[in-house]
Amino acid sequence: MAIARDAAAPELTAVGAAEAPPDRSLRRALRRYGPIGIGLVMALAMVIMAAAAPWLAPLSPSAQFADAVLKGPGAQDRHVLGTDEFGRDVFSRIIWGARVSLQVGLASVVFGFALGVPLGILAGVQGRRTETVIMRSADMFMAFPTLLLALIIVTALGGTLLNEILAIGVALTPNFIRLSRSLALTIREQDYILAARALGGGQIRVMAHHVFPNALYALVVVGTLYIATAIRTEAGLSFLGLGIPPPTPSWGNILSEGRQYIKCCPWITTFSGLAIMLAVLAFNLVGDCLRDLLDPRLKGE
Amino acid sequence: MITYVLRRVLVAIPMLLGAMSIVFFAMRVLPGDPCVAMMGDQATTEALADCTRNLGLNRPLALQYADYLWRSVRLDFGNSFRQGYPVNEYIGRMFPHTLVLVLASAVVAALVGVPIGIVSALKRRNPLVDYPLRIFALLGLSMPVFWLGILLLIVFSLRLDLFPLIGGGDLDGVLAMIRSGEAFTQPRDFLAAVGDVLHHLVLPALALGFTLAATVSRLSRSAMLEVISQDYIRTARAKGQRERAIVYKHALRNMMVPLLTIIGLFVAIALTGTVLTETVFTRPGLGKMLVDSINARDYPLAQGAITVFTMIIIMVNLVVDMLYAVVDPRITYR
Repeated sequence: MAIARDAAAPELTAVGAAEAPPDRSLRRALRRYGPIGIGLVMALAMVIMAAAAPWLAPLSPSAQFADAVLKGPGAQDRHVLGTDEFGRDVFSRIIWGARVSLQVGLASVVFGFALGVPLGILAGVQGRRTETVIMRSADMFMAFPTLLLALIIVTALGGTLLNEILAIGVALTPNFIRLSRSLALTIREQDYILAARALGGGQIRVMAHHVFPNALYALVVVGTLYIATAIRTEAGLSFLGLGIPPPTPSWGNILSEGRQYIKCCPWITTFSGLAIMLAVLAFNLVGDCLRDLLDPRLKGE
Repeated sequence: MITYVLRRVLVAIPMLLGAMSIVFFAMRVLPGDPCVAMMGDQATTEALADCTRNLGLNRPLALQYADYLWRSVRLDFGNSFRQGYPVNEYIGRMFPHTLVLVLASAVVAALVGVPIGIVSALKRRNPLVDYPLRIFALLGLSMPVFWLGILLLIVFSLRLDLFPLIGGGDLDGVLAMIRSGEAFTQPRDFLAAVGDVLHHLVLPALALGFTLAATVSRLSRSAMLEVISQDYIRTARAKGQRERAIVYKHALRNMMVPLLTIIGLFVAIALTGTVLTETVFTRPGLGKMLVDSINARDYPLAQGAITVFTMIIIMVNLVVDMLYAVVDPRITYR
């Protein structure tokens, strides 16, 4: 996408973008907002799928059909995406599995945000010893890749929905600490912060009412991208057998169980993996586009 | 420079210590007793008590912790609960498998990712080039490596029968042949063994490499964009240099600095990727060893694996920081 800072390039000589004819502006709008539209629709579809699983799923995710064990897509005219080794409907299980993925994806990011952002802003605004303590602890956790840290925590606590949220949330926290600290470092030098202090605003008031709102949009963009990371991490944990234990369906454990049957019945792994990819793609797309739209400076980072 | 190195190493030590403590205490709150995991539910109380005593698990936690740290300093992670032999030996055997996988997928990622990133930066105003490349990057970022691995296995192992379904080939044998000099006396056997290892490596490296390529292409795209907006590029254009020369002589070389930053990040992502990749392809390696040891409640093995992972990441980041100075003489260290 062409943006103003590429002015050095020879192609961009005409500066008439603002007064472009209407048919071009429609195309421009489509180019600008098309991808984010697709992402939003996909993400919304995933959320609806998770929320309305009981009404959307044609069959029960735990019902075992003795006449359709390991049958391919379209079997018995009722299993759209086939069945697994217990004769359970793969399509219905994938719809129910959306619940785990999205709950963990959204809740763990909220958790990481709620824990990391205040700490990061505190570190950035206070400086000195507070900053050192917070940042060094964050560095310690940063030494672990997200999946590894989540894996350690979730094995320690056991694989339940809440523990998965906690584990991935904690694993994401250092990222939020780092980002909000670096944002706070620039914001605290602004004149309006000086003004707020001159008006008698205390440290906490300045942080909550002035620093936080100004850091918010960048944090939301990155938060959206971390939803994608969280969903992928959850799927990874479930795939390794450390997430929500069966029979509760999650995309990761459907895929993991289907692994034994890839020879005869590749549809189990293919479709559950596809669901994971589409969900991750949706949030990546929204996050990416939001970043490009809101802050060209962050582009491509 | 030397003081900088020293300071960075000093900072890395508490980081490593902290990371190791996290691992130690996480392992101790694990539900499930390693002795029960080893001997089964049917074991008698005496046998379990015996086992606990032999493994040193009846000692105070603080003592176990101190012991663990002290041994780790000397790179001694104790003996595996399950297999009995030293964790070091186990790690030493698994490490080459993981190293080979990381290197091979790095090659795939670089060969695919860097050109894509550069082209998409240079041709960003041509939607016919830019869009497909950006979609590729987005797909790669969103595709879980274990799913891609399974798809590759379904198509290339099961349907087309071109590559093996499980295992990592006889890498130990290859290494032994190199050590004993047999590689030179019997080159035919040696090459056959190497070929077998590579044969096992193709699909895992493609799966992991492709997912990494997406990250690499994005980072090299932004690195290229960063460089191309610099004044010296404008100067080069102003003096009438051809675009090709500008890209090769000016842009590519300067792109290496921002690109280096990502190597640290890359190693972290690749190592995490090996945990999943090795599990999908049932390949021996550190990642699979970690998952297996956690499932078996084999504390020393799991601790050793995680400590090695963390050490590698911290060390790579350190080395990358040093490399900056080598690549870009303008950077000096205080």
